[in-house]
Amino acid sequence: MSIDRSQLMKHFLDFSVVVTGFSKFNLQGTDQVAAYYATIEKVVGDEILAELLRTFHRLAEQATGNQLIMDRGMRTDIFGSEKLGPIARNIIKLWYVATWYQLPQSWRDNFGVKENDVTFVVSPQAYPEGLLWPAIGVNPPAAKAPGYGTWSSPPVITLR
Amino acid sequence: MTATSLQNDLIKTVDHLHFYLKQAMMIEHATLPPYITALYSMKPNTNLEAFHILRAVAVEEMLHLTLAANVFNAVGGEIKSVFTNPDFIPQYPTFLPTGETDFKVGLNKFSRDTVKTFLKIERANEVDKGQPLVVPRKTTNNLLTIHNREPHYSFYSIGQFYAEIIRGLHALYAEMGDDLFCGDLSKQVTPEYYYDGGGEIIPVTDLPSAIRALREIQEQGEGSGKERIYDGDRELSHFYRFQQLLLNDDGDENYGQYYVVNEDEPEKSDRPGYPSGGKFKVDWDAVYPIKDNVKLSDYPEGSEVYEAAQEFQSAYSKFLAQIEFSFNGHPEKLLPAVGGMFHLKYQAERLVKNPIPGIDGVHAAPVYRVD
Repeated sequence: MSIDRSQLMKHFLDFSVVVTGFSKFNLQGTDQVAAYYATIEKVVGDEILAELLRTFHRLAEQATGNQLIMDRGMRTDIFGSEKLGPIARNIIKLWYVATWYQLPQSWRDNFGVKENDVTFVVSPQAYPEGLLWPAIGVNPPAAKAPGYGTWSSPPVITLR
Repeated sequence: MTATSLQNDLIKTVDHLHFYLKQAMMIEHATLPPYITALYSMKPNTNLEAFHILRAVAVEEMLHLTLAANVFNAVGGEIKSVFTNPDFIPQYPTFLPTGETDFKVGLNKFSRDTVKTFLKIERANEVDKGQPLVVPRKTTNNLLTIHNREPHYSFYSIGQFYAEIIRGLHALYAEMGDDLFCGDLSKQVTPEYYYDGGGEIIPVTDLPSAIRALREIQEQGEGSGKERIYDGDRELSHFYRFQQLLLNDDGDENYGQYYVVNEDEPEKSDRPGYPSGGKFKVDWDAVYPIKDNVKLSDYPEGSEVYEAAQEFQSAYSKFLAQIEFSFNGHPEKLLPAVGGMFHLKYQAERLVKNPIPGIDGVHAAPVYRVD
């Protein structure tokens, strides 16, 4: 991995913490950071992804820890951007349901149709790692079994 | 039993018997953290065959623990504070509480060396049927200092250790008769409280059921010795299950090979060392590089990894406390406790996927013992 890419991957993890609300430990605990990074790279290309992450990194540096400034920057420069906004939203969905959703038609009209931009589940391993499941305090259906007979006990909910 | 067995100097009183059975529960438990740590260290959806081999053994260790508790309860042992004793979880790497001193057991990732240690844990050593007496070896090494009765004696294998318990049971029964089995029947874990966990759960009420329970542990663990690969249930014993990961007739380290047990005519099964079944891939690299024998103090205080490890540690203590409670007259609490193990698993899986901050390329791992 080039130094640049590994640096961008770090930015991606930091970006994901901000947009998903889950901590670094929990995101790394899914072991999907590299897989999602590669997925986005494959769909939108490394240039657009790098643009998004560099924008994020610049905002974080400018905000110097000020939450308000960071929020505003995220809204205007990322989520408000015609180019980067839909990708940022897609990354949130990717983390929560392990699925890449095809970008909206308006994005495709403006920035070009990408060959791999179709809706797909990243991998069988990614599905049970979706953040949706811990977010709502349930086990992913048909994966991460809670153990025989546990259905007769109250659910174990850990919201993290 | 022969008269000579009564002259053995090991188990002579009910107290001695209780002491050995407590050790039995410690041994059965002591193998669990190493087995499940190796299991957790495997990357998901890789090494499926190896995963199942390890998992099946770990599940049977839980069965053994339960069987040992049944025997202990049946002979009037006090189970309270056995599992909740802080020293119930050994400090890894550790000698096994049987007193074996030629190898230590640790918390390590899945690797060839780790499997070799597992083989030593489960190693077979023929106990001559005609001579159920076990000769302890005297050693000078310091062992686990939890029980100080006979610190210089040691058994060569877990199977020999159980052979002594069985001998002691016979001997005490000859003296005391049914008074030996004075335990509260409601403390027995019976099949309706145990979900198909790797074998038959045997409620212990008398000498024959006690012997059956102990033989089940002994045989699943080691098979019936060096000559046979299968146990009393005609299933492959733990030693040979692990060996499948290291052996195949091509000598290629990236493949294991299954033993074939002929259930109808077990004597036609494969010979030890010569598996003839299908080969399977073992990907020794599809493993998270977890830190060996990790302790809480190995993590930077205040880091998320530290907190998660601490959370796992307290959840594990709670799990042991629930197990103890269920063995102490509340068998209906056992299944929910085992459900808790699944929860532990998912906590552990998050840990092994996280690098330890400040140590490049070394990942976190679960911490079991409170130090």
